[in-house]
Amino acid sequence: MGEAPLLEIRGLGKRFPARHGREPSPWVIQGLSFSVHPGEFLTIVGPSGAGKSTLLNMIAQIDTVSEGEIVFDGETMASRDARALRPGCGRRIGYVTQDDNLLPWRTTFDNVLFPIEVQGRLDDKTRAHAEMLVRAVGLAGFERYYPHELSGGMRKRAALIRTLAYDPPVILMDEPFAAVDAQTRTQLQADLLRLWNLGRKTIIFVTHDITEAIALGDRALVLSRQPTRIAAEHAIPIPRPRNVQDIFALEGFAAVYQRIRSDIQ
Amino acid sequence: MTDAGLTAAMVSDAPAAARKRVVVAGRLLLAVLLVLGWELGARTLGSVFFAAPLDVAARIVTLARSGQLAADVASTLRVSALGFAIACVAGVLLPFLLRRSPRVSTAVEPYIMASMGIPKYALAPWLILWFGIGDLPKLVVVTLMVFYIIFITTTAGIRAVDQRLIAMARVAGAGETAIAREIIWKSLLPFFFTGLKVALPRAVSATIVGEFLVATEGVGHYIEYSRQVADTVGVFAGIVIAIVLVLAINAVVNVIERRALAWRPVEREMEL
Repeated sequence: MGEAPLLEIRGLGKRFPARHGREPSPWVIQGLSFSVHPGEFLTIVGPSGAGKSTLLNMIAQIDTVSEGEIVFDGETMASRDARALRPGCGRRIGYVTQDDNLLPWRTTFDNVLFPIEVQGRLDDKTRAHAEMLVRAVGLAGFERYYPHELSGGMRKRAALIRTLAYDPPVILMDEPFAAVDAQTRTQLQADLLRLWNLGRKTIIFVTHDITEAIALGDRALVLSRQPTRIAAEHAIPIPRPRNVQDIFALEGFAAVYQRIRSDIQ
Repeated sequence: MTDAGLTAAMVSDAPAAARKRVVVAGRLLLAVLLVLGWELGARTLGSVFFAAPLDVAARIVTLARSGQLAADVASTLRVSALGFAIACVAGVLLPFLLRRSPRVSTAVEPYIMASMGIPKYALAPWLILWFGIGDLPKLVVVTLMVFYIIFITTTAGIRAVDQRLIAMARVAGAGETAIAREIIWKSLLPFFFTGLKVALPRAVSATIVGEFLVATEGVGHYIEYSRQVADTVGVFAGIVIAIVLVLAINAVVNVIERRALAWRPVEREMEL
């Protein structure tokens, strides 16, 4: 990876504004730095409450930073002032959140089309692409169902392809598969890797599950306890394509797992 | 397989159908009881105080034949509908505009609430002075009556919007207009329809009260005229017409609501 990084986080810090008449709140994140290269699948593992969502919110520019800077594609984002934020950085950063955030009044397919529609890019080509994604994740036949009529796993798939459908070069994922059962999670991970293989986007995937971080990533970062910074970095030496189902059995898994676990305090 | 599925469907539908029959039967029974009570009232109090249901029915038929019913209803509906429409547009647009500027919103809100305290009917003589004796003073009263209901329900709806959905839409590249139309408007629709249902009978009532004061036609004018000539049957007929009018409008709103909110997993039997 000799290329310049696509995204660089330098000395990032976050503290929430003091409530009236109270001590200023402690730093949630402080001195956090890392970079991501184009086409890389980066996973970030951290314990609950390590500020993982806050970190992604800042990268997605829906939350301000208190300190440090975010450089995306050579451009420093103005992210101190809430009014200067550009959520999604001009459609170049997609964000799959922990909750699926599907619009309850839109059918599955209309939810998938939502970003393309509001971007004014809905035509035969983009629609066909969305239809392909619907079939690729096994949602064919459920296009006209409303979100409340779908299972949890199906809603996750719909939320995932909603972001893939408009093709942002970078996608942030915040524990998207945390709320589903183990069986479904493995299936969703396999789906994600398959879709990633089609386009090789840059992905930053946050999780508290070490196995998931190893199964998906090229590289795994380990977060410290608060104030959060990067505690360790591990390359994942497992070759692709990977069989997520049998990831435990693959050579190199156990060693990386042990190292990451000892880094998580 | 198909047979089994069919039977299962019939079994699960049977209690629902039975429940529905019970509800309809209950409604009919209540209607009969109400009419009987009404008849009883007329017999004990006498026809000057209490008009008999059959007399009222006969009067409505007479009014319908002469064409006066249609003219009065049209006149009342014209004012109510126009006032209602103006109030809805203003009551929805204003909260959307205020949303864009929290500071203006905080500054203006107490004045809006204070103006809500003005008893609209007390203004009637001045409204007539200012706007003459045409439709205009009635229109102002109706608009004011409806405006606050729609304004408050819409504001509550905007406050209840899931901020995560708005953040999602922003990241996905939605502009402010798209967010207002696709997220905020859609998610406040249940509030809006609640407001409509509260406001509709009031719009008709306000028009009718307005017609007591200034009118040459309309359901309210007919009631007031009947009262002046001590025509109890006329007053009761007018009231029945007003009730039917409100019920009919409400039925129309229900149909629109059901179509607009088809996505919602609601208990159908809970519909008002």
